[in-house]
Amino acid sequence: MKKFMVFAIICVFCVSTLFAQGVKESAKQELIINSYMSDEAPKNAFAAVVAEFERQNPDIAVTVNTTAHEQFKTLLPSWLTSRQAPDVVTWFAGYRMQSFAKRGLLEPINDIFPGGSFEVEFPQSFKGASSYDGNVYFMPQSWYWWAVYYNKAVFNRLGLSIPETWDEFLAVCEVLKRNGVSPIAMGAKETWTVGGWFDYMNSAVNGGEFHQQLTMGEIPYTDPRVRKTFEYLIDLSQRGYFQPNATSYAWQEAATLLFKGEAGMYLMGQFVFDVAPADLKGDIDFFRFPTVNSKEYAVDTPTDGFMIPKNARNKDAAKKFMAFLATAEAQKMFCEPLGRLAANTLVPPLNAEAAKGLEMVKGASFAMQFYDRDAPEEMAAKGMNAIIDALQNPARLDAILAALEADRVRIYAE
Amino acid sequence: MRLKKQSLVPWCFLAIPLTMYAIWVVIPVFQSMLFSFTHRDSIMIETRFVGFANFIRLFADPQFHLALKNNFVWLLCFVCIPIPVGLAVALLFNLDFGGNRIFKTLYYIPMTLSFAVIGTIWAWIYQPDFGVLNSFLRAIGLPGLAKQWLGDSRYMTGALVAVGVWRQIPYIMILYIAGLKNIPIELIEAADIDGTSWMQRFRHVVFPLLGPSTIMAVTISIIDSLRSFDIIYVLTNTKARAAEVLASYMYSSAFHYQDYGYGSAIAVMQFLITFLFIVFYVNNSLKNEIQR
Repeated sequence: MKKFMVFAIICVFCVSTLFAQGVKESAKQELIINSYMSDEAPKNAFAAVVAEFERQNPDIAVTVNTTAHEQFKTLLPSWLTSRQAPDVVTWFAGYRMQSFAKRGLLEPINDIFPGGSFEVEFPQSFKGASSYDGNVYFMPQSWYWWAVYYNKAVFNRLGLSIPETWDEFLAVCEVLKRNGVSPIAMGAKETWTVGGWFDYMNSAVNGGEFHQQLTMGEIPYTDPRVRKTFEYLIDLSQRGYFQPNATSYAWQEAATLLFKGEAGMYLMGQFVFDVAPADLKGDIDFFRFPTVNSKEYAVDTPTDGFMIPKNARNKDAAKKFMAFLATAEAQKMFCEPLGRLAANTLVPPLNAEAAKGLEMVKGASFAMQFYDRDAPEEMAAKGMNAIIDALQNPARLDAILAALEADRVRIYAE
Repeated sequence: MRLKKQSLVPWCFLAIPLTMYAIWVVIPVFQSMLFSFTHRDSIMIETRFVGFANFIRLFADPQFHLALKNNFVWLLCFVCIPIPVGLAVALLFNLDFGGNRIFKTLYYIPMTLSFAVIGTIWAWIYQPDFGVLNSFLRAIGLPGLAKQWLGDSRYMTGALVAVGVWRQIPYIMILYIAGLKNIPIELIEAADIDGTSWMQRFRHVVFPLLGPSTIMAVTISIIDSLRSFDIIYVLTNTKARAAEVLASYMYSSAFHYQDYGYGSAIAVMQFLITFLFIVFYVNNSLKNEIQR
């Protein structure tokens, strides 16, 4: 009897402590954020931003659910339609966001920006890709550029200078190849890496506006100008300038070849630095994609940011968080360790690399988001597979382009 | 009255699992069939009835033809390789020899591994530059055979099928080991006394009595080959179009391309193909069993 009483008292004590803890926690608001920032560097940078928000808002408990990038894209539609949607989600500007806004799945956030409107601290040029039908639904946090990253040590050792034209680029590739260095790394296992190649090659060969019209479904894939773009890429492959077995390498694995000096160049986004070893970062630099038919050039400048689902449970806390993220302070906190460019214009480039990237972007005549952000996802997926197919089976180019065109007609008709 | 109450008791116990089965399996199957006649995305906001349009599109879709062709390769390999190899291994392990149990356990290990682990192991084996397979081929003087197994469209399906077959063999082995244990030893001894050879005993006594196990093995192999997805997903993330099968195409269409109606149409086709194969085979085999 005595033992039973002691046991019962202990149980009551434990249960009441648990409940007390629950009561204490339930006094705080809960904010759920679903994020695709699964690489270590951005994940840590974002965690620091969240910690600062919690410090400034002790009545809000933030939970960040991180999902791997590719799986996030698949899961997002189901989250947005769920009755228990997360409060904030990471996403991309442009078509990919607007397709959700069009379906009424997003909460307008016109009032969360510093100074009361988007244009006060954010570039006017970002507003189009952040809005739909007169309302802003997307809060841009950072943007970056794609460029040709190269290993400075390899270039110096072989006496190579930065190529500005296509012929110069081919000459550099030839020297690298003759010296046993893979001229161009390309981790094409996930296929999206060739999207950058298509953006840059097509805009270099045919112009940025032509490429935009193509991604908007206004140009057939059987157009001779599109065929020419594919032929340029096939030519690079036939010359042996792409790393061997590219489709067996994830993008991070291909980046390792660049860092180790086994590859000379890599067309990639600025986030390639996120996976660079600290002691090798100094060996990597970038230059703009070489021009082909004109002195003008286009750049890929994907913009990442956040949205609030229409079904978010705690929209007040979500808007508070978005308002905090939009401030120069928060954007600087995120971008500085990563070397990215903040969308807020009050944040200057935070290091020499970012300043160089900004100058490159400012000098471009045309800006693209990225192939799978400017075009519908299915079209981009089929386009990127078609590029890999063409590189591996160049004799089938006509059939590949015809199939792609059939997909274009169907996809854009829907 | 007591008899009636007793006959209700099993149904009471079955009620919950049957309800769950109906909710999560049976009803979604019929829902998919309905969805296949609509144009809808996975967000299910815009839905409209399109009749047979998805199926008409399917029959003209070269990617569907490729998926069908790849599935046929899977089917052929799954029936022709794991079954005879599994049977051979089962016959071997049915003998009494030292270390029998240890070898049986080792052979069964692939079945105990999750697909995530299998994918990781085989991704490294197939790595073209430093994977075990290509390194071995180069070491024995066959560098020409060292291919980009998961990156080259010519070898992708074969490489994936090899992984599937490697995992399927122990499953078939276990089926046949169970079947062999059920064969009355007196029949074997009687055949032995009659002076039959091992091959004659196997052909006229053992193999016919393994009929039920063979029916089960072939049925399961057909089903597993037609619904192969896990291995393709973990090794290629369904991005490799050249290795497309019906299950991966259905997944990509519904969840990557947000074309739920079309994905459902693919699912219906996959179900019909599997169902027809199974009905034909089981019907035929049972007829032969009854005649015997």
